[in-house]
Amino acid sequence: MPSERRAGHATPPVSKGVAAPTLPRNCLSPPARRPILGGVNPLLERACDLARQAGASYGDIRVREEWQESIAVKNGRPEHIACGLSAGFGVRVLVDGAWGFFGTHRLEESAVEPAVRQAVAIARASARLRDKPIALAPVEPAVARYETPHARSPRRVPLEEKLALLAAASSAMKGPNVKLAQAFFAAYETQQSFASTEGARIEQRIVQTGGGIAATAIAGGELQVRSYPNSFRGNFATAGYEYVEAMDLVGQGPRVADEAEALLKAPPCPEGRRTIVIDGGQLALQVHESCGHPIELDRVLGMELSYAGDSFLTIDKLGTFLYGSPEVTIVADATAPGGLGTFGYDDEGVPAQRTPIIEAGRFVGYLSSRETAPAIGRTSSGAMRASGWNRIPLIRMTNVNLLPGRAGTLEDLLADTGEGLFLATNKSWSIDNKRLNFQFGTEMCREIVGGKLGQIYKNATYTGLTPEFWGSCDAVCSAAAWRLWGTPNCGKGEPPQTARVGHGVAPARFRNVQVGVKT
Amino acid sequence: MTPADHEANLLEVGRRVVAASPADETEVLLSEGRQLLTRFSLGQVHQNVGTEEVWAVLRLVLGGRIGVATASSLRPEALDQAVASAMAIAKASEPEEGWPGLPAPRPVKRFDSYDPATAEAPADARADVAAQIIKAARQRSGEAAGAVEVEESSLAIVSSRGVAVAASHTRAQAHTVVTCGDGSGFAEGVGVRLADLRPRTIGRRAAVKAADSRHPQPLPAGHYDVVLEPPAMAEWLEMLSYLAFSGKSFQEGRSPLSGRLGQRVTGEEVTIWDGALDRRTLPLEFDFEGQPPQRIKLIDRGVAKAVVTSHYRARRLGKRRSTGHALPASTGYEALPMHLFMKGGTSSAEALVAGMKRGLLVTRFHYTNILDQMKTVLTGMTRDGTFLVEDGRIVHPVRNLRYTENVLEALGRIDGLSRRLTLVRGPVVVPTVRIREVNFTGTTEF
Repeated sequence: MPSERRAGHATPPVSKGVAAPTLPRNCLSPPARRPILGGVNPLLERACDLARQAGASYGDIRVREEWQESIAVKNGRPEHIACGLSAGFGVRVLVDGAWGFFGTHRLEESAVEPAVRQAVAIARASARLRDKPIALAPVEPAVARYETPHARSPRRVPLEEKLALLAAASSAMKGPNVKLAQAFFAAYETQQSFASTEGARIEQRIVQTGGGIAATAIAGGELQVRSYPNSFRGNFATAGYEYVEAMDLVGQGPRVADEAEALLKAPPCPEGRRTIVIDGGQLALQVHESCGHPIELDRVLGMELSYAGDSFLTIDKLGTFLYGSPEVTIVADATAPGGLGTFGYDDEGVPAQRTPIIEAGRFVGYLSSRETAPAIGRTSSGAMRASGWNRIPLIRMTNVNLLPGRAGTLEDLLADTGEGLFLATNKSWSIDNKRLNFQFGTEMCREIVGGKLGQIYKNATYTGLTPEFWGSCDAVCSAAAWRLWGTPNCGKGEPPQTARVGHGVAPARFRNVQVGVKT
Repeated sequence: MTPADHEANLLEVGRRVVAASPADETEVLLSEGRQLLTRFSLGQVHQNVGTEEVWAVLRLVLGGRIGVATASSLRPEALDQAVASAMAIAKASEPEEGWPGLPAPRPVKRFDSYDPATAEAPADARADVAAQIIKAARQRSGEAAGAVEVEESSLAIVSSRGVAVAASHTRAQAHTVVTCGDGSGFAEGVGVRLADLRPRTIGRRAAVKAADSRHPQPLPAGHYDVVLEPPAMAEWLEMLSYLAFSGKSFQEGRSPLSGRLGQRVTGEEVTIWDGALDRRTLPLEFDFEGQPPQRIKLIDRGVAKAVVTSHYRARRLGKRRSTGHALPASTGYEALPMHLFMKGGTSSAEALVAGMKRGLLVTRFHYTNILDQMKTVLTGMTRDGTFLVEDGRIVHPVRNLRYTENVLEALGRIDGLSRRLTLVRGPVVVPTVRIREVNFTGTTEF
């Protein structure tokens, strides 16, 4: 559901075809001699033993420690800096065909028995309102270790170094009306040990890093924001601090400030039906909202109905429904190097996969879990993730990627378009509870005239219905223009969970789209 | 342990951290609690979870430089590590412009907002509530999805300036979306006590609305008068609060109220205030700096009157004291009103519908977001029961619509409010409201 977005990271060219599931093998290795979370093995084994003794047909435990740091610099000075450490474990059991989960901050062996007891009692209460026992799709229990490839651990980079970079980037954004020149950094290092009663033993260390800049120009009761590389605090990836260093935040500062000033003086975007070209950052969120969420199989089965809603992509449409034009091929790829939604195993111990979702416009796949996959006669696509030790895993996006097309570079696509609008960088997003009617606002809008970028407009929005919109896509830029974007604030579930997910896209063109609204 | 034991323990831990801190000033926020939630759909419980958590938020000040660190444990080694992290941040940072020091202690009221029966309710009690909602829906051929949640928590704030306050609370809430064919309806209940939720009523109300909203007819986009039921009005009010009422945004020039206090910003029918100590909401005795929250009028009869502040922002704005709306130091927002109220009128909800020539009855909105923060332009969808009203009578349900509207302007077109105020999750306490000529800009297929 709502969120912010990010992650920009050049990736190797990806073929338009759908490859077989692959894993970043270079990142996988047998369990290390030294565990990621030292000394938690007794907790894992004890929890599995107790779950079995309590009659659980299945049980798992995740011991997790997460470090995070966020830094905001405003007008050259630190505005807000915070870091946090969260550690605990969660036990999930299937008893009498129903789920129970209990999480605790008490990271000690003596806490395991009460936690399992609570989880079992909760499961037994669930079973009172359960006439069909839950059956899990099979998975080979893995014994493995995964670690995000990264060069510089963001946790080990001196705070002074990060602050110096952000202060310089913030100071580089100047203009007579630029009242707020902000630079952001955030990073997460998550260490998790997973064990199941089926024998899985998996250790993972996920490193996620990102940042960005934003210039806010204010004058005459008008406010305009211009961001780089993406709005709402920048872009994110599974990577180390080197990812932020490569953004050239300082070098981009003057352009960002100039564009914020220009937006203040720009006329509003005229209303009407237009050909539009959408840049990567905005298109990533378009994929997120209109494809990523409706393919979550728990939504489809009604499990999120009372909160974020369900989905127009009902099971009867699988394999036959035309979601978009032949230019549209989408995969959910948890193996994409650098993707914010990249990992080794999901939180049920299912290996990361590359799952076909839309093939040349046809709807062919869902994001699923071990519980939901049998509803479509398949095994889990490996998409179950929890936001912390204190949350149960839910079906979450991995990297839901629009594969590159054949339209060349952005410049090639603009030249081929001739007349239209170019929309860049998300400013607002909204979509109905079946994921059909959407409306997005963008920070930047440029007229395309004679195949070149021209007049700037402010406050641009566009709206449509999902299948009609994707059906109007007649060009997607080629692999050289394709990159991964991160969405670090994808909200879902009750209690609320925030997931960090990714989207690979290249700029694309859409015909006859409603721009603006009638007043 | 009793709530008093939890509070005493948190205060003791906080005092120890403050005493051992090497910083010039130290503030410790400690919370401890359990959250238990049961989700159901299609008559089945599909998620059922519980957690026990503690959180510590430490704000250390060294020569006017601030460092913030959080921990999920009360163990000495975890808190020592948080102190070290916050100190490292403070040393790397720069002095805060005009830092006034941490706030001094002020008296806070005690409220009885802890219900032992709710705190001790077993998983079966939540299942009972879910079962009653499901049964009430099925009695009207509806199928219920929803959640039942129970929470107990203790919160303490201790600072080197002498603040030492603690309180405990319970919360219970249940909500449901009932589907009946292609119709859907929504209802909810929220309070301090699980026993007060009235699950049969929640299930019945949502089921009646679901049945009434079957076979929705398409309606073209356009301007329609609306009657907004409390969940819809609350969503607008919460978004307006986020846009307009933060002292930080106000001072940065990003609030639509920036430079406009004392000016008319919307219609005379609109009076909005924050009242964290009002028993009609879920009371909170103090903010996250340990300060008592003022009952503060934000908009009075259409005139912008105030924004809410932390202690730091209050001093930056030339005020002696904060309004008592500080958020935890781990967020950058500083302060927001968390217990909003909107003044009602003289009508009943039924009379508001009966007095509408042609328009829409809106149950609630979905996925509201901001298009223009200075002009308070929002967009979102209707959901779970939207009805066409003609000559004061509901004619038929309609498919959901997208609105794109300047909310302060729209509130200037209110022509009726219910006398009765309703507590909606948030918490927000609002009337049913009738507004002329709201701009609906799009349609969908259901």
